[in-house]
Amino acid sequence: MSGNHPTLADANRDLTRPISRPGKRFFIVLGVTGLGILLGGGAWAYQIAAGIGVAGISHPVFWGVYITTFVFWVGIAHSGTLISAILYLFRSGWRTTINRSAEAMTIFAVMTAGLFPLIHLGRVWYFYYLMPYPSDRQIWPDFRSPLVMDVFAVGTYLTISALFWFTGLIPDFAVLRDRAKGLAYKAYGALSLGWQGSVREWRHYRRVYLYMAGIATPLVLSVHSVVSWDFALSIVPGWHSTIFAPYFVAGAIFSGVAMVVTIMIPMRWAFGLESYITERHFENMAKLILLTSMIVGYSYATELFVAYYSADPIEIESFRWRANGAYALPFWVMVFCNVVVPQALWFKKIRTTLPALFALTIFVNIGMWYERFVIIVTSLAHEYDPASWGLYTPSWVELAILVGSFCWFFFWFLLFSRSLPVISIAEVKEHLAHDLEHAADTGAASANGSQENG
Amino acid sequence: MTPPERPSETGVCGASCGCAAGDSPGATTVDSNRNGASATSRRRFLQVLGTSGAGAAAAAACGPPDFADKMIPHLVQDDTITPGVSDTYATVLHGGPTEVPVHARVRDGRVLTVAPNERFPGGTQGLSSLNHSVLQDLYDPDRLSGPRRANRQNGQSGWDGASWDEATQAFTAAVAGAAGSAVLLTGRVTGVTARFLAAWARAAGAEHIAWEPFGHEAIGGSGYPGFDLSGADEIVCFGADFLGTWLDPEGMAASFAEARTVEGGSFAKFTFVGPRLSLTGTNADEWLEARAGTEALIAAAVANEVAAARGMPAPAHAAGVTVDRAAEVSGVDADRIRRLAEELAGSSSAVAVPPGIESQGPDAQAAQRAVEELNAVLGASGRAVVADSRTRGVNAGHREMSRLVERMRSGQVGLLVTAGANPAYALPSAMGFADAVAGVARKFALASHLDETAALADWILPSNHALESWTDAEVGSGHMALGQPVMRPVFDTRQREDVLLDAARQLGLALSAEVMAADDYAGVLRSAWTAGLGGDDQWREALKTGGAAADSLDAAAMPDFAADTAGDTGGANGTGGEAPAEAREGTPISPDRTAQAAGAGELNLVVYPTPQFYDGRGANRSWMQEQPDAITKVVWGSWVELHPETAAGLGIGRGDMVRLTSAAGQIEAPAYPYRGIRRDTVAVPMGQGHTAYGRHAEARGVNALDLLAGETDPESGALAYAGTAVTVERTGNRGRLIVTQGALDDLDREIAHAVNIDEAMHAAELAAESHEVDLTQVVEAAWDSDPNSPYRWGMVIDLNSCTGCGACVTSCYAENNIPVVGEDQAALRREMSWLRIHRFEEETADGGFTTVHQPMACQHCGDAPCEPVCPVYATYHNPEGLNVQVYNRCVGTRYCANNCPYKVRRFNWFTYDFDYPLNLQLNPDITVREVGVMEKCTMCVHRINRAKIDAKEEGRTVEDGEIQTACQSSCPTQAITFGNLKDPDSAVSRAARNVRGYHALGELGVRPAVTYLEAVTHAEMPASGHADHAGRAEH
Repeated sequence: MSGNHPTLADANRDLTRPISRPGKRFFIVLGVTGLGILLGGGAWAYQIAAGIGVAGISHPVFWGVYITTFVFWVGIAHSGTLISAILYLFRSGWRTTINRSAEAMTIFAVMTAGLFPLIHLGRVWYFYYLMPYPSDRQIWPDFRSPLVMDVFAVGTYLTISALFWFTGLIPDFAVLRDRAKGLAYKAYGALSLGWQGSVREWRHYRRVYLYMAGIATPLVLSVHSVVSWDFALSIVPGWHSTIFAPYFVAGAIFSGVAMVVTIMIPMRWAFGLESYITERHFENMAKLILLTSMIVGYSYATELFVAYYSADPIEIESFRWRANGAYALPFWVMVFCNVVVPQALWFKKIRTTLPALFALTIFVNIGMWYERFVIIVTSLAHEYDPASWGLYTPSWVELAILVGSFCWFFFWFLLFSRSLPVISIAEVKEHLAHDLEHAADTGAASANGSQENG
Repeated sequence: MTPPERPSETGVCGASCGCAAGDSPGATTVDSNRNGASATSRRRFLQVLGTSGAGAAAAAACGPPDFADKMIPHLVQDDTITPGVSDTYATVLHGGPTEVPVHARVRDGRVLTVAPNERFPGGTQGLSSLNHSVLQDLYDPDRLSGPRRANRQNGQSGWDGASWDEATQAFTAAVAGAAGSAVLLTGRVTGVTARFLAAWARAAGAEHIAWEPFGHEAIGGSGYPGFDLSGADEIVCFGADFLGTWLDPEGMAASFAEARTVEGGSFAKFTFVGPRLSLTGTNADEWLEARAGTEALIAAAVANEVAAARGMPAPAHAAGVTVDRAAEVSGVDADRIRRLAEELAGSSSAVAVPPGIESQGPDAQAAQRAVEELNAVLGASGRAVVADSRTRGVNAGHREMSRLVERMRSGQVGLLVTAGANPAYALPSAMGFADAVAGVARKFALASHLDETAALADWILPSNHALESWTDAEVGSGHMALGQPVMRPVFDTRQREDVLLDAARQLGLALSAEVMAADDYAGVLRSAWTAGLGGDDQWREALKTGGAAADSLDAAAMPDFAADTAGDTGGANGTGGEAPAEAREGTPISPDRTAQAAGAGELNLVVYPTPQFYDGRGANRSWMQEQPDAITKVVWGSWVELHPETAAGLGIGRGDMVRLTSAAGQIEAPAYPYRGIRRDTVAVPMGQGHTAYGRHAEARGVNALDLLAGETDPESGALAYAGTAVTVERTGNRGRLIVTQGALDDLDREIAHAVNIDEAMHAAELAAESHEVDLTQVVEAAWDSDPNSPYRWGMVIDLNSCTGCGACVTSCYAENNIPVVGEDQAALRREMSWLRIHRFEEETADGGFTTVHQPMACQHCGDAPCEPVCPVYATYHNPEGLNVQVYNRCVGTRYCANNCPYKVRRFNWFTYDFDYPLNLQLNPDITVREVGVMEKCTMCVHRINRAKIDAKEEGRTVEDGEIQTACQSSCPTQAITFGNLKDPDSAVSRAARNVRGYHALGELGVRPAVTYLEAVTHAEMPASGHADHAGRAEH
């Protein structure tokens, strides 16, 4: 760690501070997101009452903003597990202060994403037909359908992410329990599962955490691969491509890490966590963004090249139109935001200048939403039958639900930030202790200190 | 699933009396106070009952009456009606270019669909979209129920309800008071109906004017000619849209398709002469782009050339018309005219078709004569063209209508009774018909709708629909069709003849005793037909089969209904004042006069009728509004066609509002650039721009007639639709132009194919030498259908026969309860049509294009891309190879539609309403779909199931030809073949083995069950098509 070292007691104080004192500012922001949820929820209710036709989707573009936003949020959900599980397995120490928020972000993003397959259904009241429930009629879902694979992939991901996140929280719940009174004491007590911080508990805990990281790691690759099959398993020109799984996974990590940065910068400032989340963290994430940006850019180029190289006139026309047709603007917005803008990260100055980094990740967020929009809409608008070509414009209902989805996501994140430690206290202290041991050479005292509240 | 219908052969009525409607009530919600005797009808009573219920007031007052919970079964079941089983009645439809004998399918007291009457003695060919849509006319919520009296106080026009007693009294009094100055104005009427109306008018001291907007006055003679194109090897059309709107489109389409048979026949070359490629023009091999109104000049020039080549004397009317002069006036290259003349001279069986409605200019009659002479020179007269084949049915042309307007204006008309005619809309507004009506003391309308003409009346006595009436018609070659009511009137209406008969009895008019003694018009019609047929048994037979052939009916024996037998029987059967012999003379065609008549403006206007609206009467039928135009694919509005280069020169893009100004008026409509139009021509379709008539017609689009000054051909008195000069300018606004087709070019994606005739012949020879292309092998692969099933349903669509008329589309709407989504939803491309017709422009070698009309519906792929992507098995493959959609299971992910390469799946974005009483037309064999459900063509699976049940009961398998899909049965050219591909001898298997066969987007390997047969043309196609074809022929 760089900068002045906080003590273990500092850590307990600093990292639980946001929980104790929600201010006026917090409630204003929470209220705004609440209103946004009402807007989106109201729009959805209207859509259910009036019919799915109040959305702008139509023949031949049967999927639009809803599926775009679904894939966007699933993508956002990726960085959490990546940072938590994969970086944990790789023993990347810098993940410690960001993994909790990233995991929370994952869960809330999946919760948001999961709404969209429901929102986009023509008859949402029959959504359970997609589940393999014991039906009188002995009909099961069709497991060949990528949409059923989606249900399982996203469902599994949500389950594992939530368990992994909860496991990591157990020691911290104990810290909160020890500092709380009354109802909060009971609640945190129950959530901490009676954690006492004994060596035996720690040994079991570390084992479980390691195994869960191992289980979660393949999901990082599988979920977005499966989501990409929603498109790749079809025969739609522009969708039907073997590059989709790695391309989508890279895109998901790209957008997810960008979203972590987007959220972390204001949170660090609002909660005064400058000494825990440092420039080094942001620089590492910026490098990850740069790497995945280049993978994504390479994928764009590969798609175009393969379309050309295939000599399939239908495929060629699809991509030619994507870049030059009615949706050329979204396409070039996508290229600019996802490929051009992140090149600025080659400069250390940019990587460590937080306002610049913040602005850059906003570009990436926009670009990645447009990427999904471009893939979905331009492909459908310009398919095999030229007589059935057509255009799509989102309706106000779709846009209201899009706005609502962001509010829904931030609403949960705000609640999380005020009720749970946004940085893993246990892991921070573990690292602090480690550092202190080497710095002050008083190993035993620190170990005791760590055990005291840990 | 409800049990499907019994096939039509088993249910034909007429056993006892033929009264389909009067004696077959059934447990039906359709009931009306037919006799008008009591003031409170059953419906009204129930409405009041419903309204007075506590809390039900609001609901009952707003919504349509719903008697579902109040229906009770008969205590004693009517033995002629089996609930759930439909009966088929023969009747006749009026109101299109020609009358058509049809079968009406009736179930539980309401008519569901109409189909061509295959048992009609004179034969029938398909059923047009306009004729299918009469169902929506019948069940139109905008029809009048009960008489109306105008209330024009304080300059406001409103309508008061009235009882039938009051109305008939007022009518009787008006007839009594206006003897000698009354006018009875009807549309086209023939047969006994014409005699009756003429007799009634004579007895009442009225003049009977039978008038049609498209009366073809320029065609002389006592009747309309009949064309038999089937034996022709050269067909030249000088402008008539004979596949769309002219004379007898279905009949001509059938013989046209026969002339264009590729296999085992001579494939006739078809040349179209005219300023714009109409539906007919798009079926041509060659297009001579003549200026509007000058087409016949080319005919005259060609006639001279052919006569010279054959050593015949020069035709009298064409004298002096040289090829060069014709070329100069018409704007067509002289060499092309000479080449046409050479081709025709070298042909032994050429036939020419004259100018039609849109090419009717100020020298229309001379133009007709010129083409008649060409036919004479070609030897087609009497062989392919039969003069006076069909009764005109009109006795007044445009000139007579002008005189009527004058008489009305000067107060010489004391009573105007309009019945089945709408001159206030269909005459150019410049003629001032509506204003002139103000000069008439008493005005009565016997109309079904509050249309522009009825709106001018003092009284409206709502009339029955043809499907609720006793009618007859002469349908050509002397064959007579008989129409019976197939259900009780939907509304409180009466047949117009009954109203007239009523008045005649009240006033004791001088009609024959049998008329005065008859109970109603049904009795009159029956006695007349019985007399003509020679007996009661024959009458029953005629009722059963839908009419009588010419040789079995003695027209002379049919009474003329006059009180004294000396009266003449001319009436509407003749041409009124025009003596046929005289009409054959007339001024010869002259290039100078034609040049002058064709207009000197920079831009010439073409005003043309469309198959969907005809003279405007289709405009309030939502099926017709949502029927994509055959050429532009525009729905729900008007448009202005102009050449893309002309448009570009004026800075006009598709959808830009343009203002057309002529000497007579101006209109504004969105522009539609179209390659099939001359650079100096703009075209506007007729039929829209109503100011009354109903919810769909009113205030929609523009009435193209507003641009016409009402100029007429001085000889025949025909209205000049051609020859108006206009200016075009941008208004600067964008218009709402709803086009249902994306691109017009299939980009050589193996969707629509056109090949040159020589290539097609060559390929056929190759195939005969080596092996036949066996596509049935392809579709019979193991996973396409259950190997144990005897069936694999499939279809063959011959693009060479398809003319693009759209009859199949409307037939599908009627059969399958397809909802109409309306203008706003159609603008989002959400129309629900299961079957659409592509119009692709295929480039030809000479830089022009040939049009391919391609019906596109679900291809029922053997390896269907839609199936595996559905998460809930809502779409799956049935054992007979059909791709089946389970509405109940569908949750609406729409993935199937995304993955369908043909984009034939339609999604219910909302639950669409069928406004009462349109819901009575819903086919009980078909589910009415709700919001969020995907749907598509089923290949009429309900008809398949019905046939399978019948076959199973008889212990056999379904025979070839037993099942006809709705689209197939309506097709005038039999372009669609349906059947079992597992039976190698079935018609569909034989057709699928045709060397012209291919699968749309075949390279995807989705194994469609629909095989298309390439369109064939005499035009030279580019080389790429050649290689493509050869490759396919050898696989």
